[in-house]
Amino acid sequence: MSKLLEKKIGTSHLLMGNEAIVRGALEAGVNVAAGYPGTPSSEIVESLSKIAKKMGLYVEWSVNEKVSLEVAAAASFANLRALCPMKQNGVNVASDFLLHLALSGIRGGLVLVSCDDPGALSSVNEGESRHFARLLEIPLLEPGNFQEAKDMTKWAFELSEEIKSVVMLRSVTRMSHASGSVMFGPLPETGRKAYFKSDGFILDLETGPVISAPVGYRHPIQQGKIKKVREIFEESPFNTYEGPEISDLLIITSSACTLYSREAIHLLCLADRVGLLKLGTTWPLPPKLLKKYLATTDKILIVEEVLPFLEEHVKVIAAEEAKEIGAKTFYGKNDGTIPMNGELNPDIVVKALSHIMGVPNEPMAPEYEKKAQLVAFTMAPNREQTFCPGCPHRASFWNIHKALQLDNRQGFVCGDIGCYSMAAIPAGFSTIRTLHSMGSGLGVASGFGKLDMFGMNQPVLAVCGDSTFFHAVLPPLVNAIHHQANVTLVVLDNSGTAMTGFQPHPGLNVDAMGDKAPNLDIAEICRVMGANVEIRDPFNLEATQSTLNQLMTESGVKVLILRQVCALSPEKKGKKKFKMQIDKEKCIGTDCGCNRFCTRILRCPGLVWDKDEKKAWIDEVICAGCGICSDVCPSGAIIREEVV
Amino acid sequence: MRDLFGCVSLGRHYPRGGCLSAMKEQNILKDPYNIIITGVGGQGSVMASRVLSNMLSLYGFKITIGETFGASQRGGSVMSHIRVSGCGTWSPQIPKGRANLVVALEPVESLRVLMTYGNPEICILANIRPTYPVGVIAGDLSYPEPEDIDKTLHTLAGQVLLIDATKEAVELGNPILSNIIMIGAVCGLGLLPIGVKEFRSVIQNMIPAKHLEINVIAFELGQRKSIVKIE
Amino acid sequence: MENVIKDQKELRMEVRESHLCTGCGACVNLCPYQIYYRDQVIEWHPCDIKSGRCYAYCPRTPVNLDVLKAELFEESLLTPEIGAIKGFYVTRAADISIRKGAQHGGTVTALMSLALQERIIDTAIVADKGQGLLSQGVSLNKAADLKNRGKSRFIVSPNIAEFNRQAQVGGKKIGIVVTPCQSLSLAKMRTKPVPTHAERIDQLTLVIGLFCGWALSWEMLSLLLGREGIDVKDIEGMDIPPSKYQLLQVYTMNGTVDIPLDKVDPACVREACRYCTDMTAEFTDISVGSARLPEGWEVAKGWNQVIVRTELGEKLIDLARSKGILEFHDIPEGNLERLKNASISKKRTALERISASRAAVRET
Repeated sequence: MSKLLEKKIGTSHLLMGNEAIVRGALEAGVNVAAGYPGTPSSEIVESLSKIAKKMGLYVEWSVNEKVSLEVAAAASFANLRALCPMKQNGVNVASDFLLHLALSGIRGGLVLVSCDDPGALSSVNEGESRHFARLLEIPLLEPGNFQEAKDMTKWAFELSEEIKSVVMLRSVTRMSHASGSVMFGPLPETGRKAYFKSDGFILDLETGPVISAPVGYRHPIQQGKIKKVREIFEESPFNTYEGPEISDLLIITSSACTLYSREAIHLLCLADRVGLLKLGTTWPLPPKLLKKYLATTDKILIVEEVLPFLEEHVKVIAAEEAKEIGAKTFYGKNDGTIPMNGELNPDIVVKALSHIMGVPNEPMAPEYEKKAQLVAFTMAPNREQTFCPGCPHRASFWNIHKALQLDNRQGFVCGDIGCYSMAAIPAGFSTIRTLHSMGSGLGVASGFGKLDMFGMNQPVLAVCGDSTFFHAVLPPLVNAIHHQANVTLVVLDNSGTAMTGFQPHPGLNVDAMGDKAPNLDIAEICRVMGANVEIRDPFNLEATQSTLNQLMTESGVKVLILRQVCALSPEKKGKKKFKMQIDKEKCIGTDCGCNRFCTRILRCPGLVWDKDEKKAWIDEVICAGCGICSDVCPSGAIIREEVV
Repeated sequence: MRDLFGCVSLGRHYPRGGCLSAMKEQNILKDPYNIIITGVGGQGSVMASRVLSNMLSLYGFKITIGETFGASQRGGSVMSHIRVSGCGTWSPQIPKGRANLVVALEPVESLRVLMTYGNPEICILANIRPTYPVGVIAGDLSYPEPEDIDKTLHTLAGQVLLIDATKEAVELGNPILSNIIMIGAVCGLGLLPIGVKEFRSVIQNMIPAKHLEINVIAFELGQRKSIVKIE
Repeated sequence: MENVIKDQKELRMEVRESHLCTGCGACVNLCPYQIYYRDQVIEWHPCDIKSGRCYAYCPRTPVNLDVLKAELFEESLLTPEIGAIKGFYVTRAADISIRKGAQHGGTVTALMSLALQERIIDTAIVADKGQGLLSQGVSLNKAADLKNRGKSRFIVSPNIAEFNRQAQVGGKKIGIVVTPCQSLSLAKMRTKPVPTHAERIDQLTLVIGLFCGWALSWEMLSLLLGREGIDVKDIEGMDIPPSKYQLLQVYTMNGTVDIPLDKVDPACVREACRYCTDMTAEFTDISVGSARLPEGWEVAKGWNQVIVRTELGEKLIDLARSKGILEFHDIPEGNLERLKNASISKKRTALERISASRAAVRET
């Protein structure tokens, strides 16, 4: 039984931040959860999907974050409690609906969990989602430790239902994927019935239709909710202070930065001089609370990720209260004390504190540091990122790169989000030349595909995955076909949402809860829309390559689906199609005629170069048996034998 | 009252004297005691850190774990930071120069972490079996010899133990057991008050019953390795 | 002058990026790094070997032509205008079926077939039709297969790439039909400038060259034919009559289309050909072109002019005569002189263009 279902109250468990959020939702009696896979949020829906049947929940991997919020909102309108987790850019995708949802209000508790990725550990951006709370005028909570991740989530549902508004809970990678001790509360008996009451008077918030208009009526009501929340936040136990009554410096912080700040104070032994105001309710900021603590000091250091969200709002309050509490000196991002980008850690806060407080700080003896650095640079070879052995993308981009080279018109690929984003680096032969958000590959490509009237002669390709196709590629595909853009879309169909952990999507015949579900056929959809569609196996190098070269000479929208299952998928993992070996007699190696073509250029981790013997060999432990290196070797030295 | 760091304890989160007495009761050398488990994406460092953390949690410590998942898994270096404490939740990232124990599932990763987290008193336990980076495999970069890694580690650490956990695991029948052997070796060092009792309790919830005994055998094998070396 | 053998990058910069690549195929099929696609050599992936065969065998990288000629031919036979002359003839294939499938007199087909039959060679490499207007090298073992492969291909056929491919197997005796640039590449290979696989060239037994003014660019020719309303599928052959006609003739299923030569030259001419100084393929055993006869083009276009350069070439011609494989025509007065003048004219034009482009580069 999953530990998340533990019924005994008061038991302590080591949980990941995301798991703590799940437990909080369960303790709040959540009924529905919908999301789209996105690191660092994926474990929330994943964990819920595993216990859904047992707990009588509906859990869905929706096609994208906007739809997931709409699905969760529907549950809320029908008086159920719903959770909608997503990574930071998911909020961008959902924001149009969220804007209107904030205006229209909700019924059953609805909590949007946004998991930001400061430092872009698993993203191609480090966008801040906190601003959406202020922009769209909804309450924002930020847990500062793992216990709070649970307690706040539970309370967020109560708050949401009290004010009839969606509540945003913001986590970060170092909270979501870190683990700590969490004490459990009771699991309630759920028994809510779904019914959408909407036949009341149009302006009645409880019984009328849920719409964002008339805006002149709804907007002031929404702002009234924020005012009420501000009062609630003044008394919130999630805002805590530790330190002296009067301090030389006050640190104001939230989220994981709380842990960094606390540790920094401890490391420099400044607990009796530096106060720590940890905010858990970060929009709207409670002005009376802030005024109280701003008054206890002359200097304030604000520690947060990524942008100066708290900093700028605290400064507004400080300016408003200046007459009473005096002028203050602020340290933070705007003055360069804390970096304006990237993720934080205890060392950054230690450095800032050391500088402001004049306390010396030498975390590492300089000689040791120099020696250790030299060792790391000279003895620890860099680990470049690459596709897994047996990854179909390696074969796909081998072909795409070759087709573009042969075509010889400086063609390029507009990339999208997934494992295949790595085609922007040598792992994928540096073929991807634009890379932005989900679905943007084809969107941008459809723009390029109309520039021939300005003399553009370069063939334009776009790539997307099968999950990405359903998320955001359909609209630009319609756009490209209708506008007759000259573009080739290559759909890299590896049967799953691989990058984030193999979650299902509408192209597969199973759903988040493991039930059978009707699958949508990508090829059929494209054909019906009017594209010229071909399907190939990327491991068949020759067929894929000649098809690509042919398609690049045709006009209009062409779709090439390269279908081959991901090497890590459960159905393939551990099973080899071919047994590979190298005939050392035939291996030319470093000589003119080969120059280590397989190891230098194809670069699959299963192909190893022996510097002493000057021959290549296959590491059977790593090799996944896909067989393509056999076609790549110029001297026929790599032999493949089908495994029966 | 001053704690081991020589400074007054923090306010309500780390009560005065709380850490020191907790430490005495709970037998760790420092509070927090900082462990780094490092390896290559896909090696199972996450599982290893879970097992070790759950064992320590079972004993009664408060544990904070910081991890890197996601993109770094595709052949990149990965780290788990484990903060073992009697009294509080600490930062999921260990501060610079403050690691006490490094458990490296891959040898050069132990060299890599010392640049940021090392200090002369650090204890290093490493599996000597290499996982070559793509650059080395492709013939473009070179990989140090095990003797050189051993020698270099000794110049940067207080205590070094290198074992061929992979070889032992293969002899037991499954290379995956190498991580369990490493966890056993950690316990054999005597730096943490946990052993096979905690291991059994934790592992039986994580794997099918039929694999329990071989995992315990692997754990005890690892334990013996480090006890022998220390003597 | 020691010729330095450089690498793939230099080959790209000095030859392809300088518009000097003739598409001969010498750098293809030696390794995976160069691929031939639609009359262009494509660099597929980077190779960092310091001295490569690709650079050494390319006919456009620096070489001392006089030294090369002295190595391969009898000194006394060398002429400055058209290379070594051991013999000069006007011939055509005796077999009418060979002439039907040929461009002019069918001499090349007849000689290659004879060489195969007499087991002087076991493999003949000739140009074959590829997709549309494109050509590719093909290896044949039976004399009968050579018929109907005699039509001129105005877009270069990368026969050296096919030679490189065949030579990998070993133990063959290969005969090959080449353009002047391709004959130079084979001559460079014979000097074994790079030790790797140098012995493969020993399989080269017989080289028959074609007179050549220039080759056309596939891309530009395709565009021109499109503009003239000619469907590539309908084309049966092409020819360029003597210069006084100033025409490119395209033979289609629906009849002959005459295109004024000024639409073809210089617009569709392969850029690299503009700098070529070899009209008669000087590095061969035998070179063959179209004849000039007092009876006029309608008769002359059924005959060939033949230059024999080596002992092997002489042996083959003698064999052809004694077996009745070739018919011989009297050589009209002054033909050799006219041929030499035509060749000198090409050399002069090329050298003028080379000087002009060098001057242009110096000015920038």
